[in-house]
Amino acid sequence: MTAPAPGSEPKPERVETRIAVARDGTVLAFSGKVEYGQGIRTGFARIVAEELHVSIDRVRVELGDTDTAPWDMGTFGSMSTAVDGAALRKAAIFAHALLLERASERLGVETAQLHSEHGIVCAADGRRVTFTELTQKNALTGEVTALPGGRGVRGPATDVTLRLEALEIVTGARRYPADVRLPGLVYGAVLHGPRIDARPESIQENSARAMPGVLAVVRDGDFCGVVAERQEQALAAIAAMHAAWRAPQQAAGAPTDLTLYARDGVDRALAGAARVHEAAYHVPHIAHAAMCPSVAVADVRDVAADLYVATQRPFGLRDEVAQALGMAIESVHIHPQAMGGMFGRGGMNDAPLEAARLSRVVGRPVRVQWTREEEFRLSPARPIVDVTIRAGLDASGRIVAWRSSSRTNPFTYGGAGDSRVLAMTSGRNAVAAYSVEAMEVMLHVQPAAIRTGAFRSLAAAPNIFAIESFMDELAAQCGQDPISFRLRHLDDPRLARVLELVHRRSRWGERERDGRALGVACAVYHGTYVAQIAEIRVPSPGSVRFERAWCAVDAGRLVHPDGARNQIEGGIQHAASCAMFEELTIADGGVATATLRDYPIAATVDAPAEIDVAFVDDPAIASTGIGEPGFVPTAAALANAIFAATGKRLRDLPLSI
Amino acid sequence: MRALVSITVNGSVRDLDVPEEASLLSVLREDLDLTGTRFGCGQGICGACYVLVDGEAHPACRLRVEDVAGKDVATIEGLARDGELHPVQRAFLEEDAMQCGYCTSGMIVSAVALLRASPNPGDEEIRAALAPHLCRCGIYLRAVRAVRRAAGRTA
Repeated sequence: MTAPAPGSEPKPERVETRIAVARDGTVLAFSGKVEYGQGIRTGFARIVAEELHVSIDRVRVELGDTDTAPWDMGTFGSMSTAVDGAALRKAAIFAHALLLERASERLGVETAQLHSEHGIVCAADGRRVTFTELTQKNALTGEVTALPGGRGVRGPATDVTLRLEALEIVTGARRYPADVRLPGLVYGAVLHGPRIDARPESIQENSARAMPGVLAVVRDGDFCGVVAERQEQALAAIAAMHAAWRAPQQAAGAPTDLTLYARDGVDRALAGAARVHEAAYHVPHIAHAAMCPSVAVADVRDVAADLYVATQRPFGLRDEVAQALGMAIESVHIHPQAMGGMFGRGGMNDAPLEAARLSRVVGRPVRVQWTREEEFRLSPARPIVDVTIRAGLDASGRIVAWRSSSRTNPFTYGGAGDSRVLAMTSGRNAVAAYSVEAMEVMLHVQPAAIRTGAFRSLAAAPNIFAIESFMDELAAQCGQDPISFRLRHLDDPRLARVLELVHRRSRWGERERDGRALGVACAVYHGTYVAQIAEIRVPSPGSVRFERAWCAVDAGRLVHPDGARNQIEGGIQHAASCAMFEELTIADGGVATATLRDYPIAATVDAPAEIDVAFVDDPAIASTGIGEPGFVPTAAALANAIFAATGKRLRDLPLSI
Repeated sequence: MRALVSITVNGSVRDLDVPEEASLLSVLREDLDLTGTRFGCGQGICGACYVLVDGEAHPACRLRVEDVAGKDVATIEGLARDGELHPVQRAFLEEDAMQCGYCTSGMIVSAVALLRASPNPGDEEIRAALAPHLCRCGIYLRAVRAVRRAAGRTA
């Protein structure tokens, strides 16, 4: 199970990499994606259960284990349901057809006369054969081809499937990497400098080796760690050490300038415009600050390495561990555990690699648990995004020219990559969805002073903050209603539809009469259409309360409607926290923010009282992503609502009046 | 220095011989294998490690075992009775008030403490009781609904 060659066409899948029937009749489904709360395990189980005509509790979904799952590039980009869900559906339909074929041979009945339910294939005369019997001597095998039919998943309005992990979660039984127990497990901590790439000039171990419970001090070039019998002992030993740190030698890399979109005549159109408006928006570095700090367990022996981890890229991690330890890929086994929310942090496998290095030296399983302070100081941050937009309007208030420039850092790990990757990551959603004759969109990417990387929706949320705030500014310039103004400039009926949906549900038309401060924003993200309206209140001077939100989403056919609703609600609450409260303090080329007290994130008292989510849920349209779209328009919706309430136009995040 | 102390956890007396500086959180997780109480910050700010001490909700990372000697400690694992989920657990399940699940143990513990002290709380009271529990996935609305639902059952 290796990575596809670069530029190759996706090879047809083999059904045995996706679907198997266990002895006890359980249907096994395999995917290289991982679950971190998005609900994909449940979604995949529903898809497979539907297409094999079994109940969902008969299906066991195995996710992300490099020993059993098909190769996968990683779980990000809201692609799990759209891409892997589709592959599972196709494989499950094929598997079902194969089972009927086998039953047909076994029973001497044509497949058209057979049907299956609950894992049993039945003929009209009452004869039956189970899935287990049909696969006992030979597993399902064959190259998956697209077959017609399939039941598809029609999410009813009242969808009550619980997420599969629910019972484990509410009873505390769910095992995250910190909960893994292996015989001989010990605890490791690493001596970290002010930045992840800082190099120690000299290390004074002092009394570390002799401290209570310390089993080893591990030195390997710049890497220095401690292994002890208890977590507190490892931390105490690290605290006893001292090192002088020097910053990395050379600058992180040269900047890149790209034209993302260019259509002639911008200067001419600006010169001829009745009105020209310009604004600059600023989005600072923020932290993922997920509730589970980085943690990993590694068990490295001579012949094999087993890692029990939280990662968004299990196959990538396998390669990284193999390389770091000089082992063959086949000897490295990644076992993803339950994980805390990732939001992009899990693409950078810091703790797993540290645990692997320590385990290799001490010859025992080692758990590395980062402290919250290390998590702030050393994790990659979301890039800074600065967007400047200049636009021209004609006398009727139509946008005739648009020039924008987005300046930011890499959203990818391990450097900026080629320009196609840059456009898709640092340039995501920098090109507005509106029809403007003369438009030019530029992108400038330069490495930040600190490590940056992927963060939910990449550059989309920051770019949409700028674009959707600016659209409201333009609408105000020509005295037009913000929603009507957007509709005038839209070609896409699916985007128009979600705007109209939130307009109606929020009673946008009556907002002035009711004295409510509403702000709107919309976007098309990876083929998912999303429109949001936020309502805010100013209970006292200088304070803003996020009261209520409406969100309309068109993500094609829904697989698990309440799961999708949960993702959208979550994205909105997450985005509101980022937009209203969050900013990392950077000092001396590093992150100075150290605790959750320094970095307030939204709590229950900050959450809106109500979020109304409406899905278009068109079964004729293939499913698109749900994990990120809710996160994208919220900052702009809030900024626009604040303007409606106060007349103040806030162009910098975090929003404060 | 060691702490030699007996504490009652989920109804059972446990005799401990642990480093005196070990937090109750560390002892629960490492010495008693009760891993449902989670580590999020170790500073009492994130709420992931809440347990009940004589019915009141506290962050276990801020307590030492000596602080709870002679008291009744209840963790998330101790809430279900005779195989039946506590009404708060059931309500969280029914409202799908979770995504990654990491903050859920702490929230459920605080909600249990709230409903014992105040069986019919209003929304403001529910929000205040859950305020110490940070969630990055954004399930606050569902958590409030879950507590409301549980209150409706236990009242």
